[in-house]
Amino acid sequence: MPQTTFDIFRYQPDFADESYRQSYALDHEPELTILDAVLRLQNEQDGTLAVRYSCRSAICGSCACRVNGKTVLACMTQVEDVKKEFGSDTVQVDPIGNFAPIKDLVVDMDPFWEKFKSVKPFLVPDGPAPEKERIVSKEAMQKIYNESKCILCAACYSECNSFAADEEFVGPAAFVWGYRFAGDERDGQRKARAKLYSGQHGVWDCTRCMYCNERCPKGVDPRDAIEKLGGIAFNEGISWADSGARHAKAFLISVRTGGKLNETLLVPFTAPIQSQMDMPFALRMLRKGKAPSPIPHRVKKRSEVNKLMKNVKETI
Amino acid sequence: MHTHDVVVVGAGLAGMRAAIAAHEAGVDVALVTKIHPVRSHSGAAQGGINAALGNETEDSTDNHTFDTVKGSDYLGDQDAIEILCGDAPGEIIQLEHWGAVFSRHETTGKIAQRPFGGAGFPRTCYAADLTGLVILHTLYTVCVKYEIPCYEEYFVTELITDDDGACCGVVAYDMVHGTIETIGAKAVVLATGGAGRVYAPSTNAHASTGDGMSLALRAGVPLKDMEFMQFHPTTLSPSGVLVTEGARGEGGILLNNQGERFMSKYAPNKLELASRDVVSRSEATEILEGRGVNGCVMLDLRHLGKEKIMERLPQIRELAMAFAGVDPIEAPIPIRPGAHYHMGGVHVDSWGAAPHMSGLFAAGECACVSVHGANRLGGNSLLEAVVFGARTGDAAARFVHDGNGNAGAAKPEHALEYEKKLRGLLERTQGTPQHEIRDPLADMMQEKVGVFRNGDDLNAARKVVDDLKEKVPTMVISDKGRTFNQSLIHAIETGFLVDLADCMVEGAIARTESRGAHSRTDFPERDDEKWMKHSLSYLEDGKVRLDYSEVTMTKFEPQVRTY
Repeated sequence: MPQTTFDIFRYQPDFADESYRQSYALDHEPELTILDAVLRLQNEQDGTLAVRYSCRSAICGSCACRVNGKTVLACMTQVEDVKKEFGSDTVQVDPIGNFAPIKDLVVDMDPFWEKFKSVKPFLVPDGPAPEKERIVSKEAMQKIYNESKCILCAACYSECNSFAADEEFVGPAAFVWGYRFAGDERDGQRKARAKLYSGQHGVWDCTRCMYCNERCPKGVDPRDAIEKLGGIAFNEGISWADSGARHAKAFLISVRTGGKLNETLLVPFTAPIQSQMDMPFALRMLRKGKAPSPIPHRVKKRSEVNKLMKNVKETI
Repeated sequence: MHTHDVVVVGAGLAGMRAAIAAHEAGVDVALVTKIHPVRSHSGAAQGGINAALGNETEDSTDNHTFDTVKGSDYLGDQDAIEILCGDAPGEIIQLEHWGAVFSRHETTGKIAQRPFGGAGFPRTCYAADLTGLVILHTLYTVCVKYEIPCYEEYFVTELITDDDGACCGVVAYDMVHGTIETIGAKAVVLATGGAGRVYAPSTNAHASTGDGMSLALRAGVPLKDMEFMQFHPTTLSPSGVLVTEGARGEGGILLNNQGERFMSKYAPNKLELASRDVVSRSEATEILEGRGVNGCVMLDLRHLGKEKIMERLPQIRELAMAFAGVDPIEAPIPIRPGAHYHMGGVHVDSWGAAPHMSGLFAAGECACVSVHGANRLGGNSLLEAVVFGARTGDAAARFVHDGNGNAGAAKPEHALEYEKKLRGLLERTQGTPQHEIRDPLADMMQEKVGVFRNGDDLNAARKVVDDLKEKVPTMVISDKGRTFNQSLIHAIETGFLVDLADCMVEGAIARTESRGAHSRTDFPERDDEKWMKHSLSYLEDGKVRLDYSEVTMTKFEPQVRTY
């Protein structure tokens, strides 16, 4: 029978101001999930241990937490798998990152639900509803299927670098829901949504670290949804009004014309006024050899780059 | 203290649908729920929701009604079943208009429909194998749009009644802030879902502890048909995680250890798509007679091919891999019958109103209208939740509009009184931990009150329940804090579960026949003369008293049930 030590984050606001860690040893059958382990500890060793959970079948989204630093659903993660992966009999369990703890593994999810609500997460169709169902092709419905799988567990926020740096960043799951409606052909608010999701703290503030895609337990790929929302913003023609969008556009123009990124071009595109004010600083940098040459350097095989760009465009 | 016209306890499909209906009817309605709405167990429903849309083949609400009446083993009230099936197409269309992402028909772009157990036609609308999740989310987005207030992580501990015995609010534990609150209401709708956790294993969430039923029972309201617990034919071992009936609807077959498609012996026409009670009994018989594999039989999907499995049953593949270590594209899944859905519940009429208590309503699995009778058909539970959720929300709003309800009778003192009771519990340092009551109860129910029952087992079950009941008042809570005290919640839930098990066992002992999910080996026949009636369980002086009421028949005379 395997034995495991669980090293768990504790925060007991009724009894102590500071958080601490506590270790529990458990003998168990080889088949045991992290959630079942915590529930066994709660029953058998320490009734004060708190954790959100319900369905134990990876659909309610309650039990996201960090196991050895990696955000997972506790109910679908096997203790023995974690031990094997990390080569240790001790398993650390922490609440999801980037939210304030309420008690032990339970965090304050209010900011998460506020973000969800901020993307207008409901269908706003054009015109009155028909008598029967709206006719939607299988393919059109399939386009938002991946986003419909999101269980709002917030694992993506736990891993999100942009959210860690900017608590007002709308964030991955909320944008998944943004795309779930903006990409729904029954919705009539595509342009308004594109605008709502741009601007400061919006889709352009994603740093593309891809952790949300990597750690989403349901394979929803939030970063892809953010990317698709960027595409919608471009198509809806609001891109010039938004510095994030201009930044993305400058990328595109630069690669299209020179075959590679011209970083000097990015700054005036992204922040035209600020960049003029920063001109003396830029010149000083240039003089000291700390800035790239403003004269674009061209790559040799631009046709290859164009072919790649075409491929990418076709797949989106 | 808070006050609303209507308070809905529970925020799954039935609760949110009721709240939306009440909001649309112009009353001030709030949701009160022990878990966030999107965490509700409705989201775990996989396969689909029935409506005679006729999008695949011709169908009619009459066909749907007949299938449901037959499925219920003639215990369902036929007038209520007519409402269920008649309102079904409209409710599905309404969900679609609100944005539900239903899977679509290949060529017409209409809502696609798949075959399901006990149904004569492909009638089950679905969203891959995430139907419950998609509908739960759809209703939540409507609640967000309407800005319906929601008391999240409030655990309701008691119903409040006025001097005339009318329901006028609830007492609840605000888990995050650690306070006890009174919430006054002119009407209270219970929509707390099922009581599957009376059993272990169970497909139900840990949260499915039948709270609403027990709240009503303790307030003097009878529960109906409590002996009827449905065992789903395909659950994973040992966890009890559900594998949708859609797996068989899409063509999955059941095999015993001889590789024999054994359903041909038990249901030669419908095979794996006979009703759930029939399939579960067939599996249990195979296993009991030694033709199982480690206490299971095998669900084989391999012949469907990778593409179909990935498109129609992606979650099933994920769950089978995570919880049984089997990829159904490569190998059959070991499955067995497991406690899944409780046909019984708070005795209400077809508007969700409890005839025994003014101001009290119930909807969804927590209620018993009864539309499922002795056995529910797959795809009818989500349907009941939305159809009767909507009707109950309407009825509660109408009750308020008509000038009824006495929200003023709910006082802050009610919370204070409960607080005093709690103090006793919190201060106790010696006694029985809740899991030493809950775990043996659930194991015993599985063993003695399972797919097959008999008088000896049921009497033994009664004794265990009585013993455990005595331990309930001695429960000890190890967490002495106020914030998010799960030890406290588990103890209260355990008390609820024991009450409900008591009703289930008493109902099962009394019912000396076999009907639907209640199958007695000592009384193997259905006995319409004596037992075509609903049981009603009352809790009086800590004991269950049984009474009975008539079943409503309209068009369909009882027949011998074969599939």
